[in-house]
This record gives sequence, C-alpha cells and structure tokens, in this order.
Amino acid sequence: MSRWAAALIYAVLGAVTFVVCFPLLWAISTSLKPKDEIFRWPPTLIPETITFESYRELLFGGAVASAPGAGVPPSAYFMDWFVNSVIVSVGSTAISITVATLAAYSLTRFRFRGQRAVPYVAILGYMIPSVIFVFPMFLTMVALDLPDTLLSLILGYVCITLPFCLWLMWAFFRGVPIEIEEAALVDGATRLQVFRQIVLPVALPGIIAASIFSLIVSWNDYLFGRVFMNSMDKLPLTVGVMHFFDGTHVDWGLMMASSVLMTLPMAILFGFMQRHLVAGFGAGAVKG
Amino acid sequence: MLPLLVSVALFLVWPIVEAIRLSFVRYNPLRPDDQPFVWFDNYLFVLEDPLFWESFRQALVWTGISTLAQAVIGVGLALLLHQPLRGINAFRGLLLFPYIVPTVVIALNWRWLFNAEIGIVNHLLLSAGIISERVAWLSTPDMAMASAILLNVWKYTPFVVIVVLARLQTIPTELYDAAKVDGAGAIRRFRDITLPQLAEVLAVVVVFRTIWTFNKFEEIYLLTRGGPGTSTYNLALYAFDQAMANLRMGVGAASGVIMLGLLLAGSLLYIRLTGFGREDRAA
Repeated sequence: MSRWAAALIYAVLGAVTFVVCFPLLWAISTSLKPKDEIFRWPPTLIPETITFESYRELLFGGAVASAPGAGVPPSAYFMDWFVNSVIVSVGSTAISITVATLAAYSLTRFRFRGQRAVPYVAILGYMIPSVIFVFPMFLTMVALDLPDTLLSLILGYVCITLPFCLWLMWAFFRGVPIEIEEAALVDGATRLQVFRQIVLPVALPGIIAASIFSLIVSWNDYLFGRVFMNSMDKLPLTVGVMHFFDGTHVDWGLMMASSVLMTLPMAILFGFMQRHLVAGFGAGAVKG
Repeated sequence: MLPLLVSVALFLVWPIVEAIRLSFVRYNPLRPDDQPFVWFDNYLFVLEDPLFWESFRQALVWTGISTLAQAVIGVGLALLLHQPLRGINAFRGLLLFPYIVPTVVIALNWRWLFNAEIGIVNHLLLSAGIISERVAWLSTPDMAMASAILLNVWKYTPFVVIVVLARLQTIPTELYDAAKVDGAGAIRRFRDITLPQLAEVLAVVVVFRTIWTFNKFEEIYLLTRGGPGTSTYNLALYAFDQAMANLRMGVGAASGVIMLGLLLAGSLLYIRLTGFGREDRAA
C-alpha cells in the first residue's frame, strides 16, 4: 500500500476515534469545571479552573446532613444507587451464568423431549425487546409481593440476560468433544467430577464472555429499574441520575460527573476483558 | 435436571405468555382484581389510535435511516480496519467502546452536547461557520429525530464493524491474488470478491439491526421523552406510555404483541436468509 493511502486511512480512523471519544472527554472536562465556568459562552474546551466539587458532592453528599426542611437532594443518594447497581448486576449475572451453564450442558449431553426447541426459544427470547415483557413481569412481581425490592430487579435482569447466556453457553458446549468426558466416566469418575474437573475449565472462556455481557446489560438497563422501583434509596444508578433533571435548574457538572462515575466500572471491565469481549461478539453474544 | 429446565422455561416463556394474556383483558393496576376479558378491544383501540400510526411512521424513519447509516459506515470502517497497518488493533479496540457505555450516560451527554444555548456542538458549528444561528437540536421535531438517530448510529455501528470485520478475515487471500494476476483493479476486486463474500453476513446484520432498532426504547425516551410533542415516538414508547402513564396495561400489552408479530416476521426473514435451524448449519 502506498504511503498516501496509509496516511489517508490513519486520518479517517483518527477522525472517527475523535467522534467516538469526544462525548466522554467533554463529560470529563465539564465535570471538572466550577459551576460558573460550565455556563460560560463561548465554552472553554479545557477547564481553566479544576475542581472536584461535583465528584465530592456525589461521593460524600450522603454524609452531609441537609438543612432541616430543605429536603434531601437526589445527589445524596448517589452512593446508595451505586451499591444497588453493583448488587443487582452481580446478583443477576451469577444466577444467569449458573443456570445457563448447567442448562446448556444438559442440553448438549443428555437426551430428552423438546430438547432441540430450547436453544431456538432462547434466541427468540434474546431478540424480544424488554418493553414487551417489563409490564407482565412487573405485575407478576406485584402478585409475588416483591415490587420495589432489589430481588425483583435481579429476577428481571435474569429474564433479559438468561436467553443470550444460554445461547452462548449452548454454542460453546457443542464445540467441546464429548469423548474425554466419556473416557473419564468409564474410568469411574462421577458426573459431578467430570463437570467440575473437565467441563468447567474448558467452558471458562465462554463463561467469562457471557458474564461480561450479562454485567453490561444489567448495569446499563434503565427500563426495569424505572418500572419496578419506587423508593429513592433503592433505585439503580441509571434511574437515579435521571432525577437530577427533577429541579428547575439543571446542574450539568453533577450530571457529567455521574456519567463518568457510571461509565468507569464498565470501562475498567472493558479494558481487562477486551479480548474475551471480541470472542463473545464473534459467537453472537450481542444484545443491543 | 428437570427443575432447572422448568425454571429456564419459566424465565423464557412466562413473561411472553403473560403479555399475550394481558392483551386480551382490561387491566388497571389500581384495580388488580377486576380484569374483564375484552376479546380484541385492546387491539382495536391501538389500531384506531392516531398516535399508534404516527409512532409507527416515525419508527420506520428512525429504523430506516439508523440502519442504513450503520451498515454503510460500519462496512466502510471494517474495510479500513482490515488493512494491515501498524497500530490498527488499538483502533479496533477503541471503536468497540460506545457499546459498553450505558444508554443513560450517552443520553445525558447528548443532552449536554446538543444543548441549544450553551452546547458545544452549536459552538463548534457556529465558529466553523457551518450554521449562522443556534440550532434548537432537541426541541424541534426534525432535529430531535436527527439527534436520536445520531446517538443510535454512534452507539451501535461498532456492532456492524465487528461482525463484518470477522467475516472479512475469513475471505481467502488467494481470491485477491488471483484477481490481481488477472489484472483486476481495487474497485473491481471490491465489487467482484469482497461484496459477494460479505452479502450473506451483511443481510443478517441488517435484519438484526432493523429488528433491534425498531424496538428501541431507552435511546429515544432518555434523550427526548418522545418529544417535542410526540414527534419522536416509536412503538416502544407508545406501549410504555399506554401502560405507564395511562395505566392501560391491556392496551400496552396489545401494542407489545403487535411489535412481537412484526419481530417474528423479521425473524422468519432472518431464518430464510441464513438457513439458520438447518442441522448442517447449526454447529
């Protein structure tokens, strides 16, 4: 390839990378500005004065007792929301992965009626948008006396993530030859031993890919949290931060600082797990 | 093993069954014990509601433009990222980034970037001389739709890039070598080798993106709430609005089932296109 062609490609890719990164860079820049600088026109690209005021309000705002009668500002709940989001993402991912792994294993290793239909039902379930089943799920939660609990949210997220975890694990186990397991069984190993010592280590990459996708989906969800949850202190982050728009005056510094803090866990996960993420994309484990 | 599969079935099938049941009853969550069976009343209500048809038309615009843009930009980027250049892997990784950013975060950032009074986008366009006065991005119907489409393209083009890139890497290089020997230029090679090889995977990607984009809720709701007015409603927002704001669970469920029907039609198309489900292809 000629040098000019290469330069052109780098230029285009550089421009695209800029467009990809700009919204978040701008969020970081805004989150570090004092309030008067945020509202300045023309806007300053790089903050002239750097302050961590917005971050402090989010991270430690809960500890500050508000003036009596003034009401609690939404930002005081930020850390509660953060913890809630961690609990429900990790909880629902643990359930989805456990059920999906065991179910996918039995689907590929045992014979029973209706077996062939399960993966197809799963892929259908994975294409169905959440807005169709969020209300039936909510009414079921009401019937079970669970609404406004973190458990209801966990169950809701299992509903969205299980189909594609099951599909991914099924595709994965199909590719693992059954002969080694049969040999181990002949040698007197129990089914459980075979599963733990032979199957699980081989399935690990698939489990990691499915876990990442499940974590991303449940961390990023807004709809279920919006419909299921009510109390301010029980909201997930995504629903909580939208309450920053409640007042008459919008604090963009606070808003952008929470964007940054919300993206951070996923960005860290992404950094560590990028290789697996690409592998998962290849296997079709994408919901979006 | 049985209880496990029963629980899987419960999670996969129960919400759908319940949605279909709801679509045939009148259900107000404030009076949960009173659920009269109303046959097709909810469906009739939906089909006679002008807002449903407005949402449907807007969903077609939203889906059509978004999917086309994602496909064109996605294939273009995949072709660039397929070139054997130094540092190309860093670009590949970075371009995946939008996929992991929570929709709420993107919507917040978009509202800030496209803020009419002090947004950076207006500032940059003004100083570059592209526009002469501030654009009210999120409060005029066409511009609100354009902003929402832009958000969607920003977030989901990586999906197209990854899938197309994976397919590009499996095209045998011998094909290109042979074509070069025969004197085919770069454009000929693209038209006669790359495009036919990509056709199948591209069809699949477009069907998937069409189905998912058509049913998107959060991307629009969080950015514009369907507004200004109802100018950015799609069917998902319509269903949400009926169930959540108007407390018509049955009507919401009925429009959900209509979406489900459209989705099944799309999935059948997908199966026809790929031969998915044939035993020889399943592995």
